[in-house]
Formats: sequence, structure tokens, C-alpha cells
Amino acid sequence: MYAALVAALVAYTAVAGTGCKAAIQGSGSSFLYPQMEVWVERFREAEPGVVINYNPTGSGTGQNQFLQGVVDFAGSDPPLKRADWERLRGRVVQVPVILGAVAVVYNIPGLRGHLNLSGEVLAGIYLGRVRYWDDPSIRALNPGVELPHREIVAVHRSDSSGTTNVFTLFLHKSAPSLWPEGLVGKSIEWPVDSTGRGVGGKGNQGVAEQVRQNPYSVGYVEYNYAVKTGLSYAWIVNREGVSVPPSRETVLAAAEAALASLPSSPLDDWSGAFQAIVYAPGRESYPIASFSFLILRTHYPDPAKARALSSFLHWLATRGYDYVIEGYAPVPPAIRSMIDEAARIVGGGG
Amino acid sequence: MPDYRLAKDRAFTILVLALAAAGVAPLAHLLATVAVRGAEAIARAGPGFFTEAPAPPGSRELGGIAPALAGSLLLAGASVAIGVPLATLTAVFMHEFPESRLARAARALAMSLLEIPTVLVGILVYSIIVVPMGRFSLLAGGVALAIVMLPYVATYVERALGQVPRTYREAGLALGMTRAQVVFHVAMGVARRGVLAGFIVGLSKALGETAPLLFTIGGSRAVVQASPLCPGDAVPLLVFQLAQTPYENWRLLAWGASLVLVASVLLVYLAARLLVREVRL
Repeated sequence: MYAALVAALVAYTAVAGTGCKAAIQGSGSSFLYPQMEVWVERFREAEPGVVINYNPTGSGTGQNQFLQGVVDFAGSDPPLKRADWERLRGRVVQVPVILGAVAVVYNIPGLRGHLNLSGEVLAGIYLGRVRYWDDPSIRALNPGVELPHREIVAVHRSDSSGTTNVFTLFLHKSAPSLWPEGLVGKSIEWPVDSTGRGVGGKGNQGVAEQVRQNPYSVGYVEYNYAVKTGLSYAWIVNREGVSVPPSRETVLAAAEAALASLPSSPLDDWSGAFQAIVYAPGRESYPIASFSFLILRTHYPDPAKARALSSFLHWLATRGYDYVIEGYAPVPPAIRSMIDEAARIVGGGG
Repeated sequence: MPDYRLAKDRAFTILVLALAAAGVAPLAHLLATVAVRGAEAIARAGPGFFTEAPAPPGSRELGGIAPALAGSLLLAGASVAIGVPLATLTAVFMHEFPESRLARAARALAMSLLEIPTVLVGILVYSIIVVPMGRFSLLAGGVALAIVMLPYVATYVERALGQVPRTYREAGLALGMTRAQVVFHVAMGVARRGVLAGFIVGLSKALGETAPLLFTIGGSRAVVQASPLCPGDAVPLLVFQLAQTPYENWRLLAWGASLVLVASVLLVYLAARLLVREVRL
């Protein structure tokens, strides 16, 4: 019986052959995943021959699998590190393809209107120094708002996360004297935890759930989770001192403002991109915005693969941004033309 | 005082019943939630649930989990084909030569394999199969699942063989059977219920595993892949990845897939119990 099973499997494999339906394999950022699925689906309608398969394994894993040559492209929130880029200089293409934001969500029963918060206040909360919701520093940002004299529960990620990296980078850039560079990273020791008022949650899901369940709590999640879970989110004071809500427009404004300090070619070193977009200048800019990148090779041994990836990038630059789903923001036109340039490079014309 | 004793007896019975209920309640709640939300998802998606790919996130439609179902079937086939003979032969060896150094090492390794986080198995298979092949494949996932089921199947089969009475084996030998014939025709036959229980435990363990698949199968979710040499999707991987997103239609789809997963594991158990009759000695 066992022999029959094996014979059937082998025969089946031989008949089904090795002609896999997904010619192109990508892996990486789980933030990018839902948007990528929409693009892949729409692109397949435009060019039925090509199936792109994107696996949400996480940005770090995606980059590793790309560097090991297991996948054709990586999706990654942070761009390649400078050292990796140096090693692959001229052989690797990076372009930001979508913008996201970190929303600061809160749960204050009975509070009407929106709450304004700043980097200093958030740093104070996560340091454990700002203890009550009616702290003078919070009241100063929210004149006329009835704030309760309740202790603040500070919720943060318990797992290693790019969201934490962006959020702590914002705290450091907006309040460098309070939040030292040593507290910037994907996973940090939260000072507020030692006061007993810090709570960890796994994933965006976990943080959103903790904020929902704990009255008088505050937390940070990717913007699309804030939108879809219906939690209240704060307006954040930006570099110019203006309080702005996260939205497509304010995130796009931050990216526009960051352009001046970004590279001009997909072949350049993008490792400083987050420094540029987090706490970007501009009155309209939302201060905790971030990119998600596609990382590709300049040359693919299989010409069909190069053609398919090139036409996907070209489609993305010209039509992809008609299909941006809720919670994400499209990249500015200058970056779209860079995506088109990447399409030419990958296609062999650059 | 008989009244007092009766009351004490009654109170104790109630206490034990309540504690037993408290122990089972979380499991019942879990199963009920999966059944209700899963049924809701499948009812909303209609028959397309079993024939279509997931709809785009945030859309009104649900789509289906066909690529994941196909992938899970191929994974089950591949992992049984690789894992079951390996585990059975290991068990026979451990049982027949219990004193040999190799058998003792095998037993210790099987026990420690039970404790190793299965994600490590995935990483191992990633580096020895996926990287050299240059791509993800259901076959790589099948190998990872075979390694995961190995210790379960081996331990169950060894225990089942150990329960075969010595007289049966002696009878076989007395009739002139070789040692191998005694093992495979007499002992295996008498112990078939226990052996099959081992296979089933291994298979259901493999069916529900997510971690070994993260770095091995590639998650091809948009199209049904027909070949084990291609990247594919699996039901538990789909649940894990879609449930983490904020989009309702994907999360509902994950509920539906959970129900399919739970139901198929239960069905495998039931089928095995019905198919294999107990051997009475």
C-alpha cells in the first residue's frame, strides 16, 4: 500500500511537471503584504501571463532570502543597510513603493474631539515621567479639553518590530534631550515598564487589543490598524509645531518634504531614508511617516523574469497607485518616476 | 449520620464535576467560536470558498482558500510518504534492538526532537533544501513536516509493538518465520490499531503546523499549484498570515480556514477509529 502511495505521488509529480504557475517569487515586509496582493491581482488582470508570488515573512527575512538568491525580489520597510548596499553596489535596485504611518492610538473613556500629542510628551509617557492624563504638558497641547486625572497605561510592542523602530526614531528626533539614541531600535528596554505602567502587546493586533481593553491607555500601531480597528488616534505636533492627523495627505506631504534629502536614483544608497522622512519638515507633514521598499537585482539571468519584473514596475509607476487600499498612502510623483527608472534598469534598458 | 455523609458525597461530586467542566470549558469555547465564525465565513463565501483564491484585502467579497487546500493535501501526501516509513522503521529498530547504542541514541533524539521548536526544523530545511534548490516548494515543506511527525510516529509505533504478547512472536518463530516476517506480519498485524494511531497522530500534528512552513513553501496564495516541486500555500499558514492583517474579509476567511482545519483533523481521527477495528487477544 505504501509503495502504491509513493508510486502515485511520483507519477503525479512527473505528470504535473515542474512548470510552476508563479514565475516570480518575492518575500518580506508583512506591512506591504495586503497592498502587494492587491497590486499583484490587478497586474494579473492587465498582463495575464505573469503571476507574482509575495510571501509575508518579515522585512529582515525578506532581505536575507533576497541576498541568498532564494527569492527574486524583497519587500522591506527599511532599505538595505549601507554595508550590504556597498557589497552589491551597481547590482541592486531599491525603490520606495508605498508610504505608511505610525498612529498613536488611545483609549480615554468620555473624551470628545481629538487629542494632540507631541514627541516630548510621548517621550515623557514612555519614560514613565508623564504619569497622568491631566499632566500640565498634555493640558498645554489640548486647551479646553477635559482631561481625567488618571494614570496613563503605555502600551508598546513586545516583539521586535519595524513599527517600534520608526516610533522610537521619531521620539529621538523630536525630543533628543529626553529620548537618547540608545533607545532607538526594533526592540528596546522600555523605561516605563519599570514603573509598572507599561504593557506589551504582540504585533499591531496585540497593541490595538491592549489599548482597547485598558481604559486610559495609549499605544502605537501602523496607521491601517488604527483605521480598521476604529480606535481614536492622536494628532501629532510636527517639526514646524503644527498638530496634524495621520492621513494620506499628511503622509504624502512628509514624503514630499523628505525628497530633498533622499537619493535621486534607485541605484543609490537609501539607508538614510528613514532619517529623512521621520520628523520631516513642512507644516502639513505628519511626523511619524515611513516607507516600504522593493529591492530587486539589476540583472536577472532569466530574460523572461527580467521582462516580467520590469513590466510590473512600469505598471506600478503608471497605474498601480489607482489601487492604493485604505491605510496606505501613495508615493509622490518624483518617486514614481524613480520606479519607472528602476523598470528600465531591470528590463536591461538602463 | 447518614444525611451528613450523603450531603458530603453530593457536594464532592458536584465539586469534581464543576472542576472537570472548568477544565473542558476553554476547549469547548474555542471549538464553538471556530465553528460559529467559521460557518459564518463559509456561508458568506458560498461554494467558492473551496474553489477560489482569496479576494483582495478590504473588498466586500471573501473569495476562497482553494490554493491552501490543494497545498495542504500535497503536503499531507508528501509528509506521510517521507515521514511514516522512516518513523516506522526507526520504531521497529528501537523495539527489536533495545539495548543497542544506536537505538538508545535514536530514542533520546526522538524525545528531544519533540521539544525542539518546530520553526527550527523549518530553518534547517530552508538551508539544506530551499537554498540549494533555489526556490521554495511544497516538497521542502513536506520534508519539514515529515521531520516534525517523526518522533510522534516513532514513539507511538514502538509502544504499540511493545504491547504485542511475547507468545505471539514465539509462535511465529516456531513456525519458521524469519525475524523480519515476525515483525511485519505478526507484530504489526496485532498492533495495527496502535500503529495506525501513531500515523494519525503524526498526520494531524503535521496538518496543523505553521512554523515549519514559514521558510519552506513560499505561500503561493493566488493560484492552485499542481506540483509538489512548486511553491504553494497551506491552510494553517493562511490562517496565521491573514488573521494578523486588519482587513475584515481576510480575517473572516481565516476563521473559515480554521474551521476546515479543525474539522479535517477530527475527520481523520474518526475515520481511523472506524476503519481499524480493535484486535482482541
